[in-house]
Order: sequence, then structure tokens, then C-alpha cells
Amino acid sequence: MILAVSMQGISKQYGSVQALGNVTFEVEKGTIHALVGENGAGKTTLMRALYGAMQPDSGSITVNGQAAHFHDSRAAIDAGIGMVSQHYGIIGELTNLDNLVLGAEGGPVLMKGSMEQRANELAASMGFEFDWAAESSTLSPAGGQKLEILKLLWRNSQIMILDEPTAMLSPQDSDALYESLKQLAANGATVIVVTHRIAEVFEHCRRVTVLRGGVKVADHDVADVKPEQLAEEIVGGTVIERPVPVSNERSNIRLRIDALSVRGSKGETAVKGIDLQVKSGQLVGIAGVDGNGQRELFHALIGVSKPMSGSFSFDGNQWDTEPGSTRILEGLRVIPEDRHDEGVIEEWSLYDNSALGLQRLPVFRRLTSAMKSEAPVMAEMFKTKHGNLSDSMGSLSGGNQQRFVAGRALRIDPQMILAFQPARGLDLNSTTKVYQEIRKACDEGACAIVVSFDLDELLDFCDRIVVMCHGHLSEPKPEEARDRAAIGRLMVGAE
Amino acid sequence: MKARVPILFACGILLMIGSLMIVHAPIGEAVATIFQGSLGNLKKISGTIKEMTPLLILGSAVYLALKAGLFNIGAEGQYLVGACFACQTMVMVPGPVGVGLGCLVGIVTGALWALPAGLIKAFRNGHEVITTIMLNAVAANMTKALVAGPFKGKGQLVPSTAVLPVNSQLTPLFTFRDLEIPQSFVIGIVVVVGLAYWLNKTVAGYELKASGANPTAAQFAGIKTKQVTVKAMLMSGGLAGLAGALQVAQFEHRFYDGFATGYGFDALGVSLLVGSNPLFLLASSFFFGLLNKGGTALSLIGVNKGITMVVLAVVIVMFAAVRYGRKQVNHG
Repeated sequence: MILAVSMQGISKQYGSVQALGNVTFEVEKGTIHALVGENGAGKTTLMRALYGAMQPDSGSITVNGQAAHFHDSRAAIDAGIGMVSQHYGIIGELTNLDNLVLGAEGGPVLMKGSMEQRANELAASMGFEFDWAAESSTLSPAGGQKLEILKLLWRNSQIMILDEPTAMLSPQDSDALYESLKQLAANGATVIVVTHRIAEVFEHCRRVTVLRGGVKVADHDVADVKPEQLAEEIVGGTVIERPVPVSNERSNIRLRIDALSVRGSKGETAVKGIDLQVKSGQLVGIAGVDGNGQRELFHALIGVSKPMSGSFSFDGNQWDTEPGSTRILEGLRVIPEDRHDEGVIEEWSLYDNSALGLQRLPVFRRLTSAMKSEAPVMAEMFKTKHGNLSDSMGSLSGGNQQRFVAGRALRIDPQMILAFQPARGLDLNSTTKVYQEIRKACDEGACAIVVSFDLDELLDFCDRIVVMCHGHLSEPKPEEARDRAAIGRLMVGAE
Repeated sequence: MKARVPILFACGILLMIGSLMIVHAPIGEAVATIFQGSLGNLKKISGTIKEMTPLLILGSAVYLALKAGLFNIGAEGQYLVGACFACQTMVMVPGPVGVGLGCLVGIVTGALWALPAGLIKAFRNGHEVITTIMLNAVAANMTKALVAGPFKGKGQLVPSTAVLPVNSQLTPLFTFRDLEIPQSFVIGIVVVVGLAYWLNKTVAGYELKASGANPTAAQFAGIKTKQVTVKAMLMSGGLAGLAGALQVAQFEHRFYDGFATGYGFDALGVSLLVGSNPLFLLASSFFFGLLNKGGTALSLIGVNKGITMVVLAVVIVMFAAVRYGRKQVNHG
């Protein structure tokens, strides 16, 4: 066995937080190696150490048998290491070719002709196709991911680190991506995939390393381990089971959307005349690749944007003409996409944040005393970790802010729950708990719509799945309602 | 980063001492004069209270706008317009009824003077600092024209309204030897306490603060942020107008060209010093009133009154630095 990467005893401390503690990480050359763990387990930190973007406090790194001391990413790139981060670095205003060569132009003068030739050779070797003169803003998420991989090849990377590469991809695109990665591995490249999706590990990877709380807890050949065991190692205890979701749906329709169209931020029609009816008791998941109108649909339902045409009502109340505050009084509760910008006021205490969005409900008629009594309950609901409820919201980690926001949305008589990526920043069990609470509200007669870019998450928790693609809403045939592949085809508009 | 605050503090104090030395002021004597001139005896304390009175209400006006995320530099103009129209009302309708009516007119005209800035901010995203500064200039010239023309009192040699009839002039609420507590001072305190209650205990106040702190989150919380912007400017202008009306009724008894002495701008400093608890408006206006009154005494011993402006500026900068530093710590 030839080791492409060997990291021994890596430790890193940030303030009082031990981000990495004596981690050993070894990757065999020519394999796809998965690095798994919850948010905050240290996966990205470890990879940043390998990529030279962070210097560990102690430990040694060996690449292809040679000791490596990367003081910056440039040195790591020169040693043949490439990394695609979660929020990838494609600049929309540049052409695909510009993005490909950016930072590795190979000289002071740009030789368009020869660059394009090599670009085409690389793309052909992977089975990709690119219009090199097109602006990168026109790329789909899958296209962007492919371009990122080509960028690594352009730089002659032999060791590739991909951080959550499939987070924004449809199942089909994910499979295609892994096919490309397998081909690269077969040609001798080494691929490290950071992921939280256990299914991917078992389908595509050779070995897997588990991190938890900054410490390595396990190393396995994927063939020797079962998914349940891996999940327990990730969580560090029992994993809350996710039974097949059963709907307690009643016959009455609560939310009714008719021919709704909504304009997007660039003036385009982002939601194109969709119809949807949600019954009491239903937990509906909207699957789809990011940027297919889910956001705009939510904004219209919440009331932060006005629809272009069409209408929607809840319990017969014409919501599209009512102000957002009235919708809240009638039971609308929101877990927004971007808690930092949309969900909380970071300068305010947790107490003060507890009324945000609910301030007109009768519960908060006596504002200050109600905030004093409600905030602890909301924080406790999903075990928000905080120093003190009078501390500023900004002092909480993103995941804990999300816990608080979810608790707030579900605490006081929710009737219509809108949740946009509610699992963002949460660990496996917390995700399950949030969905369980949503389910509980639905069982009591509420209804819910959840948007997620993770189809597996929706399959785990939603009793009904619809798909948004290019602003259109579609629903799989009844016999394919839980068919991953069929839904995946709808996600990319293949049907 | 942590060293920045103490360094700024030290620099501020050095700057203060330096500026006193540049004007050849004996430092100890200068400081003593400021306190002597503002708190030395009951009469001087009364003078400080008089200086403090308009600052209480104007400070509330600016503070309210600030909490909604708006920097109302136009308080001075709203104060002038409110004072001018209130004065003419009180001239035309004598007696206590006229005073009440005058205050109402002051509130309404002050609010209307702030309204364009609010509307432009909410619906055209024009910055309120620009619009209110321009409205200040218009207010100064418009009131000047009014008191030189239609509002000019009979027999007045300078541009000025007539003097209020004696039964329209507010008397001190309470007098003890040389100490006078004006009625408008008490109203000012009531305004501050009322504002504190409104901001901290009511849903409307909560929504206003949310709009100022994070407009996006406020929108997601069902708050109509545009309406809040307009409302905040109206309320801020209304308070500034009230300050003008009371200034006429209690102290000046007429409105004249040159009525403005910069209270509207001092109010910016007053409210910036306050931080998160509105009740600190009381302390902050007292501090500014003290420096205003003490500064007058300072000019009598030959030190330019402007030195107190330097002191104020330094205090505001240091205070801003301290608050900035605290915010950094929170995020770390």
C-alpha cells in the first residue's frame, strides 16, 4: 500500500477550543477516501491543514513519502494538492476559460489558443463538455463543480480534496461526479471527499475516516463496516431512528396555491405559475437543486416579496393580499434560510430575539415579561448551547442560532410551517428532533413545507415530496413517490 | 485590537490638554471655571437646567430615529420650523389654550418637516443625512423669510415675531431662591421616560428597534420596515418641533432670525452618547448642558468657547471607540 497522504498527530487550538486533537489521517494512493463527521467535528480544519491554508500547532504531514511543510496554499498546490471548498470559487462574471486558468495562467501573456486546446484535452479526458467562451454565471451547480475539478487537473493536482461536493447536486449529477472521480482514481489520482452523506460513502468510497469533536474515532475499509455502525461513530452514541414517515393527513386543504408566479432578484420569472394544495397533517418536502425558484416561492409565502400573478390562501384567508404580520397571526411560522441575516438580530440578547416575528401574538402582549418566560423554553426545545440568555445572539455558533430559531418557530401554536434548509448547521440527531417537532405539529393538524437541497433528508422525513425545477413545480407519479431516481430526474428536468 | 481603546482614550485626553495649551489656557483654572460657571451657585445651576431642557427633547428625537436606523441631522430644522409656527400660533391665540395649541402646531409642523426625508428614505432609498441637511438650510431661510414678512410683529425693528402676551409665557414650575425649574424641563423628563417605556415595553417600539438593527430580519418577522421608517421620521420631527414650541413658550417668548443656536446639532452628540438605555438621555443632556453653560463662563476668562466643542467631540469619539471595542469582543 502506497500512502499518498500521511498526517500524524495533528493538533490545532483556536482560543479555548481544541479544533483538532492528535489526529492521524492516512490516505492510500489511487483511492477515493471519505472523511466524515458532524458539523464542527474538524473535517474542514484537518483538510485546511493539508492544503496549507492553516498551520497546525503540532504534528507532521507527509505527501507521497516526503515530509511536507506548507506555509501557504501555494506550496501545497505546487506539491500537487488541490482543494475545492464548500462555497466554491467560480467567478460568475468571468468566462469558463478565465476561471479555469485563474491563478495558474502559466506566464505573463495569456495564450488563448493553446490554453483552450489544453482545456479541451482535459475536459475530453473526463468526458466533460464546456463552452469556454461562455460566462460562468450560466453554469449549473453541477457544471460549476465539474469546472472546479478541471481547475485542479489544470494545476496538475494528484491529490484532490473535495468539501461536500454533492451538497448542491441532484442524485444523477452526484453519481456522474463520482464516476469522474473513480476514473481519476483509476488513473492514479487520490481523492479525499469530505461529506456528511453516509450513503455516498458506501456507494463510492474505498476507505472512510470518522472525526468527532476534533478527534479521530475510527478508520475503516468501507467493505468492513455497516452504515448503522458508521452513523453511531459519527454521532458518538445512539442515532435516533428515522422511521418511514407516515402522514396523519386529514381531508381538509389548508394551504392552496393557485397559478402563482414570482419575480426573482434579477427580474426573471423565478416561480412560473405553480399550483399546490397542502392538507392538514401533511409535511411536504420541496426537492430541487438550489436556485430553481424555491427561495422566491418562500419569500412570497412569507410576505417579503409580492407575487407577479396568481394567489394563495390559508384556511380561506387570502394570504397574497394580507400583510405578513396577519399571516403570522393566522399561524405562519418560518425557519428562514439565512438565520444570520433573516432570522435573528445578532446584537440583541436571546431574550429580545425570542419575540422576533411573534411580537404581535397575544402571548407577547406583555412584551418584556413574555420574553423572559418564553426565551428559556425556546432555547431548551432543541438544547441551544448558550452562556446566558442575556448574552448577544452573535455570541452563539451558527448551529446553536439555528436551534434557537427552530425552537422559536415551533414553540407557539404553529399552523403553517415554512422551513428552508432547517438542518443547516445541525448534527444528525438535532436534525431528526427538529423534523420530529414539525411532524408533531402536523399530527395536531398543522401543515408544513420544507425546502432542502438534500433529497435523502426529505425522503427521511417528509410524507409527500414535490420537485421544483426552473420555476415549475411537479410531483412524481404515485408509484414513484418515494423513488429516488425518479425524483432525481424531475430535479434536473429530465422528464 | 484590545489595545486600541485605551490608546484612543489616552489620545483623547492628550488632545484635550493639548488644545487647552494651544489657546494658552491654564488647564486647572479652565476646568474649575467650567464647573464654577455651570454648578457654582443656584443661579448657575438654573442656567445649566435651561441649557439642558431643549437637549432632553431634541436628544429624544434624534435617539428615536437612531434606534430605527436613521440619522436625523435635520432635528435643527424641525426645531426651527416647529418653533416658528408654534410662536405665531401663540401670538394669535393668547392664553393657556394658545400654548397648548402652539405645542400641537409645533409637533405637527416639525413632523411634516421631517416627512419628506422619511418618504424619500423609505421609497426611493435616498439617504436621510443628505435630505435632512438640505431641509435644514431650507428651514433656516424659510423661517427667516416668515419672520421678516408675514409673521413679523408690529413695531419690531429686526426680523422677529411679536412678543408673546404675558399670559402665554410659561412660568417656572418651581422656584427656590435663584433656582428655577421650568415647566418645559419637566415635560422634557416626561418625554424621555415616555420614550424609554415606549421603546422597551411596547410592540411598536420593539418593531422600530428591530427595523433599525436588522431590516431584513425585521421584514421576515412581518414588520413593514418602510412604514416604520416613515413613522420614525414623523415622530422624531414631531418631538423636535415640540422642543421648539416649548423653547418659545418657556424661554424666548418670540421667534426671531437667529433663533437657532445649535441645539439640534448638540442633540446628535447627546443621543450618540446614550447607548442602549434611553434613560441615559437624562445624564447625557445634563453633561452637554453643563459644558454649554460652563463654556460661556470660560469665554469670560478669555478662553474661546469653542474649546468645549473640542471636549464634546473628543468625548464622543472616545465613547464610540469604547462601544466599538465592546462589539468586537462580543463577536470573538
